[in-house]
Amino acid sequence: MKFTYNWLKDFVEIKITPEELAHKLTMAGLEVTSLKAESGDFVFEAEVTSNRPDWLSIIGIAHEVAALTGRRLKKQQPQGLKAAKSGQKPVSIRIEDKKDCPLYTAKIIREAMVGPSPDWLRKRLELIGCRSINNVVDITNYILFTYGEPLHAFDLDKIVLQFYSSKALQLGKESRGPLEILVRRAEEKEEIVTIDGVKRVLDKDILLIASRTKEPKNQRTIEQSMPVAIAGVMGGKDTEVTAATKNILLEAAIFNPVTVRRSRQRSGLSTDSSYRFERGVDTDTVLAASSAAAGLILKLCGGKLALARSAGMSLQKKRGIDLDTCRLNGALGAKIPSLKIRKILESLGFKVKAKGKDSFSVTVPSQRQDVLSEIDLVEEVARIYGFENIPTSDPALAAQLKDNRTRDLVAQVRETLAGLGLNEAITYSLVDRESLAGFSGETTLEILNPLSQDQEVLRPTLALSLAKAISFNLNQKQEYVNLFEVANLFLSASGKPREELYLGIALCGTRELFLEQGLVREEAGLLHLKGIIETLFCRLGVKGHSFKAGRGPAALDIYVGDKHIGRMLKLPADLKARLDIKNKEAFLLEISLERLFGFAPTEKRLTPLPKYPGITRDISFILKEDIAVEEVLGAVRDQAKPLLAQVRIADYYKGKQIPGGFRGLTLSCIYRSPERTLTEAEVAPLQAAISALLTERFGARIR
Amino acid sequence: MDINEILAQVDAEIRDIGTREGLEEFRVKYLGRKGIVAQLTGSIPTLPVEERGRFGQQVNALKNKLSCLIREKEKSLADSGTKAASGEEDLGMPGIAQELGHLHPVTQIITRICDIFMRMGFAVVEGPEIENEYNNFTGLNIPLEHPSRDVFDTFYLKGGEKLLLRSHTSPVQIRVMQKQKPPLAVVVPGRVYRPDAVDASHSFMFHQIEGFLVDKGIRFSDLKGILEAFARAVFGEEIKMRFRPHFFPFTEPSAEVDISCIICKGKGCSVCGRKGWLEILGSGMIHPNVFKHVGIDPEVYTGFAFGMGVERIAMLKYGINDIRLFFENDLRFLKQF
Repeated sequence: MKFTYNWLKDFVEIKITPEELAHKLTMAGLEVTSLKAESGDFVFEAEVTSNRPDWLSIIGIAHEVAALTGRRLKKQQPQGLKAAKSGQKPVSIRIEDKKDCPLYTAKIIREAMVGPSPDWLRKRLELIGCRSINNVVDITNYILFTYGEPLHAFDLDKIVLQFYSSKALQLGKESRGPLEILVRRAEEKEEIVTIDGVKRVLDKDILLIASRTKEPKNQRTIEQSMPVAIAGVMGGKDTEVTAATKNILLEAAIFNPVTVRRSRQRSGLSTDSSYRFERGVDTDTVLAASSAAAGLILKLCGGKLALARSAGMSLQKKRGIDLDTCRLNGALGAKIPSLKIRKILESLGFKVKAKGKDSFSVTVPSQRQDVLSEIDLVEEVARIYGFENIPTSDPALAAQLKDNRTRDLVAQVRETLAGLGLNEAITYSLVDRESLAGFSGETTLEILNPLSQDQEVLRPTLALSLAKAISFNLNQKQEYVNLFEVANLFLSASGKPREELYLGIALCGTRELFLEQGLVREEAGLLHLKGIIETLFCRLGVKGHSFKAGRGPAALDIYVGDKHIGRMLKLPADLKARLDIKNKEAFLLEISLERLFGFAPTEKRLTPLPKYPGITRDISFILKEDIAVEEVLGAVRDQAKPLLAQVRIADYYKGKQIPGGFRGLTLSCIYRSPERTLTEAEVAPLQAAISALLTERFGARIR
Repeated sequence: MDINEILAQVDAEIRDIGTREGLEEFRVKYLGRKGIVAQLTGSIPTLPVEERGRFGQQVNALKNKLSCLIREKEKSLADSGTKAASGEEDLGMPGIAQELGHLHPVTQIITRICDIFMRMGFAVVEGPEIENEYNNFTGLNIPLEHPSRDVFDTFYLKGGEKLLLRSHTSPVQIRVMQKQKPPLAVVVPGRVYRPDAVDASHSFMFHQIEGFLVDKGIRFSDLKGILEAFARAVFGEEIKMRFRPHFFPFTEPSAEVDISCIICKGKGCSVCGRKGWLEILGSGMIHPNVFKHVGIDPEVYTGFAFGMGVERIAMLKYGINDIRLFFENDLRFLKQF
């Protein structure tokens, strides 16, 4: 809402500077977002919240200024308009549904001179960004901004003419009957060309102003009527007021906010008029605004007021609200004296009657449709009293001892992964359907109203988003990308949407490690993903995980016990090509944290330390590459149990001294007994048996 | 030899010494068995009796000064740790360690803010991102066909159930209050969605932190107290705050909260639009209608609620001027936090 300093001064005396005024208004809830000196005046722009339609008018803001500065509104001259008697046929008004239009008023002004507006009027409108059209249209706009009541002026003769020129009716000019203004819903596919020159196809949600004439000869009303305006939104092109207009029909009405809202949404037309009707127009203002506009037209354009008609109800019931000042101060934590409370409310136009020592009965002025209950009055008092004058206090809060396990575990996951050098990403939950192909076969949840293709579906996988982040970083010339994200995935479980918390990890490229021997370059691979996730499992105390071959050549499913919790994979070439990842392999992992956390023990238990020392024996050998080490380790464990307490791969090598198709491995075996210290003599045969197993069963060559 | 001359030259001499060997040479030259100090001491008996006392004191002072200088030099030689001939490490070389990863700035801000509220006694609760119209709108006193809904443009899901992506974290208020009875002190971090065209200050996905406190006798002054403590904890003790009346359907009275601009300290700059103030959160006393929707008696209980945009706070704190940077995941960006 734009308004000017001088315009306000027509309605209230202002003794403070525009800057001071802007500050006062801002601190009272009407936030002034800009203030500019222009053409000898000051233009304010303010953000009007949707609960205060009264601030969409100069008079409404003047009310506020008066309350804030301790002044009164200036008295306006009553118009004292009287319709002249005329021999013209009267106009009648018919409202099809009073819910859509509780009040409709029409005034007819004959023989007005349409022309340019006087300078003062044009300047005022232009200062607030409203283009000057002609004096009649400018007056309706001027009154709209002053009173907050949208008005519309029709060319009366064109309403009638348009009606007769329609192809549906071929009647002689002499047979014209009296005009009827009809407020009705549009028919499906009915059309109107609005003032902006656009032809609009209407439907039943749109409320129209239409016209028809009564056929006098056989007293039959012609059923068909022609639309002349989209009610409360915009008038029709055919009936607009132009320089050639002589006779004017001035509309001032109340339309149902929801009806106008639908009309606006359906027609895609948002106007100063629809904006105000949607927020609610004060019924008491309608007549005042209509009279003020008619008075101004007579003054500036000449002509005679020929007729004033109205249909529907204008009176709103005045609401009375009880206010207890102790409760008010209790809600605010303040000590505002009752007298002060009364003064504040009265300055805002509320009528206050004392009921008891600390209680009032408060009557709400009609323009304050937002004030419905006691708490609304509390806000009014607090606003004008000043939020800054209300003290601060510390509420007594009980200690919160319940912990949020998921949140704590997620924090551990994040810290562990960052400790392993990974960087946390946050990617969008919405993705495009086409890119998802190949990343997930899940049924996706679709968005009804995406703004772009990128927002078509809720993602059922983190892999696509993380792969895109890899591609983005490679484009920024990064050699090594290591990212993780914790986010909800959106799945469809037999038609019902379900959210599940997931962890995703992405690795790509070559990591450079500066070690004592110099720079070591290491290319990311699936084993890196495995190392990361096993470290995480260890940190969380998750035991019993395994990896099993999944779908696709380099894809593994991750299990804890026999529960599937996620997968990891090397990104296939076709997907890499699609995302423009070149010359590098990309590795992705995603696991369900919800499922994983089910395996994280809430308590830790100590395993007693071994009482007797163990004996460690290493064994090195060369093994065919196609033999899985998992199988070898299993066999070794079986062979040497129960004294073999632990066996692990201590070293691994490939290179010149190893023949092609083979790899070198060193197993480190720890033998231990819980009952005694083992001797070399006990361990040697076991170690020999392992050697034999390796050579005989796996064809290994001991080194 | 004139003692004063010697005193003048030792300072310059020791300054030029760069090695332990040089320092040892210097020590021997002055304090050695046949050094200058010994020679001077030896010359005392040759002096006239009346001069001996004064001369002896001067020699002593010289001796003290030399010991002092040598001690200091020893220390500075040990500290400098430059490449030493004795095969010690050159600590000018890069240190050897694993590179640490970085948490996303949004995560860091959420953690920080939640921690502050947890210290005050709030519990952290999270809620689903897919919501229904009741929790997102109606229960929060936002009528379905009303202009107050216009600021909450919302993504809807296909299907007959009118499900949507929450446009704010406030639905969690409804969820918590439906399940638990007061007293309640809760903060809710999470992702929210609004179909806004993406530019430097708008994103269709961002993060909010919601908070609410419900108990008997909670007052507007408590809201001011808690939020002032919060703002000081996040932005520093000197920060100034102001509460401006505003409108939110789910609170009454409602206030927007500004802090004095952290860039210009309130003088007015481009970040605060020359106003000297930065809007950081919305707040208010929970509307009685909201309590009625969840079956809490507003005559018995009162409460306040507040909500803030995490990216906005992060942008202010870290000097980030484009919200899109949070979701590009450029490692050069992430590694700065």
